[in-house]
Amino acid sequence: MTRISARYLGKRVVVSYITLLVIMTLLFALLRSMPGTFLASMITPEMTPEQIARLEEVWGLNEPLWVQYVDFMVNYQTGEFGMSPTRRVPVWDVIVRRLPRTLILFGAGFIVAYIVGPLVGMYLGWWRGSRKDKSIFASSLVMYSMPSFWVAWLFIWLFNYELGWLKSTYMFTKFPEFEWTIVTTLTDVLHHITLPLLSISFVGWVGAMLVMRPSMNNVTEEDYVFLAQAKGLSERTVMIKHAARNALIPVATQAIVGLAFLIDGSILIEQVFSWPGIGELIVSSVLEKDYPIAQASFFMLAVIIIVMRLLTDVVYTYLDPRIKFGGGQ
Amino acid sequence: MTLLEVNDLSIRYDTGDAEVHAIDGVTFSIDRGETYGLVGESGCGKTTLAKSIIHLLDHNGFIESGEVWFDGTLPHWEDENGDPRREIVEDDRYPVRDDGMTDLAQLDTEQIRDIRWRNIALIPQSAMNALNPVYKVGDQIVEAVLRHEPHTPEDEAHQRARDLLERVGIEPDRADDYAHEYSGGMKQRAVIAMAMACNPDMLIADEPTTALDVIIQDRILDELDELQKEFNVSILVVSHDISVMAEICDQLAVMYGGKIMESGPKTEVFQQSANPYTLGLKNSFPTVKDEQTDLVSIPGSPPTLLDPDDECRFLDRCPFAVEECRSSHPPMYDVSAGEESRRVTAENPQIHRSACYRVDELETMRTEASKEETWQATTQNR
Repeated sequence: MTRISARYLGKRVVVSYITLLVIMTLLFALLRSMPGTFLASMITPEMTPEQIARLEEVWGLNEPLWVQYVDFMVNYQTGEFGMSPTRRVPVWDVIVRRLPRTLILFGAGFIVAYIVGPLVGMYLGWWRGSRKDKSIFASSLVMYSMPSFWVAWLFIWLFNYELGWLKSTYMFTKFPEFEWTIVTTLTDVLHHITLPLLSISFVGWVGAMLVMRPSMNNVTEEDYVFLAQAKGLSERTVMIKHAARNALIPVATQAIVGLAFLIDGSILIEQVFSWPGIGELIVSSVLEKDYPIAQASFFMLAVIIIVMRLLTDVVYTYLDPRIKFGGGQ
Repeated sequence: MTLLEVNDLSIRYDTGDAEVHAIDGVTFSIDRGETYGLVGESGCGKTTLAKSIIHLLDHNGFIESGEVWFDGTLPHWEDENGDPRREIVEDDRYPVRDDGMTDLAQLDTEQIRDIRWRNIALIPQSAMNALNPVYKVGDQIVEAVLRHEPHTPEDEAHQRARDLLERVGIEPDRADDYAHEYSGGMKQRAVIAMAMACNPDMLIADEPTTALDVIIQDRILDELDELQKEFNVSILVVSHDISVMAEICDQLAVMYGGKIMESGPKTEVFQQSANPYTLGLKNSFPTVKDEQTDLVSIPGSPPTLLDPDDECRFLDRCPFAVEECRSSHPPMYDVSAGEESRRVTAENPQIHRSACYRVDELETMRTEASKEETWQATTQNR
């Protein structure tokens, strides 16, 4: 398809890049305004002022703030994330190990939430006012009002503690009594990911549903849906191909917002399940005052959100052919 | 030859506590190749009546009683000639008559979907918004073709879509465009092209020109007229616009409060109107010939139709009402007999009929109805 032009895409990329620069600036300001420096954990009472000054020089903290800012901006954009003061390894090594795990959990959560949500919303909107609609809608609002970490505890209690079906900590078995083959790895990870995934999507799908349901209901009043019925198409075809396809357009808009909430939620969930991802890393590094790691983690989350937004933008333009591409009037 | 024969049809809407008698015991018939008009105020039931033929009512609407005999049947009940097979006609379990007509009112939802578009296509009220914005116009025509003729090769269906568009004056290459790239008139014509996709026997056109300006309106009406000549398709037009009706209809039915008040060949209904409602309606429309006359509207508003009383539906607004009008709604009388001051119930739904107890006093009614005071008097009586 030629509907999307390179110019439009280029423009979106530039906007995304500027957004990232703004976020980086904010990040820098926020972390510098926290009390103390990360050197606090390295300084011992026996150290002489010279030694402390030497430490500051090594970590670049004696430079004026604006120099630190410029260094930060330049280094991050060239992929140089520095060293972790507590772990004594390059920050990048830590991030690279953690990032895919977060992507797996969050990506799966996003996919589940945005398949279940619009599907349920489609049915409820199509049958709006029916008893099924009312009961499912009410119970989904209850779900939506529950904090995801609390739901996670309930799940742990039920499926792990009481039933013993699923694992509640970490991503895989730490000291396995089995060989790591593809099959065992997959089942083992599935055993571990199911509960956190359930907890994320248990709350996450409702947001998409809440947009899809009224959108679907509006669309059923449209003349093209009536015409599709008059054409003799089956109810299923009318509902999915003609109504839901149009009702999805606002859902794509909601997805851009929902995305950030989902990432937000997955940080808490990672904490509850000790999922070794970026979210868990953020919490522990902030507590340890390992600011270089925290800074890089926040940065990576920002990059994920920005990239996803860019993708949703592109998806959006494919969903609705009425949108003109190529920018300017 | 009769294509559609509607017999004593009643449609109701369930509103929870009460039922709306949207259509009440309506009888009419349409011949092949004929244009039949349903005219009346908003809420008189004309659109409900048209939609009910192919069961396209809102979810709370249902056919209460009556028959809708149609010369055409389900694809799997047909023989090679398109007529219903012998064993189907003879079997009492199928709603098919000896003369091969099928009662559409008895078909279930699955069955009526096979009749829709293949036998009876529809041009909806606002054809401007009837094209799905996210699919190419050509693909939407192809969809209709493949639904009812699933064995058609895809490229053949696409070729047919392009031919149809060209037939209604749209460049074939525009088949690959989306609806928002079409002008209003083009959308309307595209919907007409789509309606012809399966070569139906009948077209239901619900307010086909309401949203269009007069020039485009005229072009669309010509288009319908040409299609009718070419394919010998019957058209059931629903409109509140008497001037549109005057232009295109062969037969006309004037509806009020869920009833047909007067029906018959267009010229007779217009020129020898025989019902107080039709007479009042004519007063409220401008004519080109005598522009000096003031427009007189009928005072009052249409009845609600929520569990209506037995009396004539037009009673409250009628300046000619007499005691008999309270007894029940009048049957359809033969107007030609009425001209001779006789009251004879009309058997044939195609002749000029009027539902009025005073059909035997036509002369008086016509002279009185042309005076403005007559209509004002009704309001003062209230």
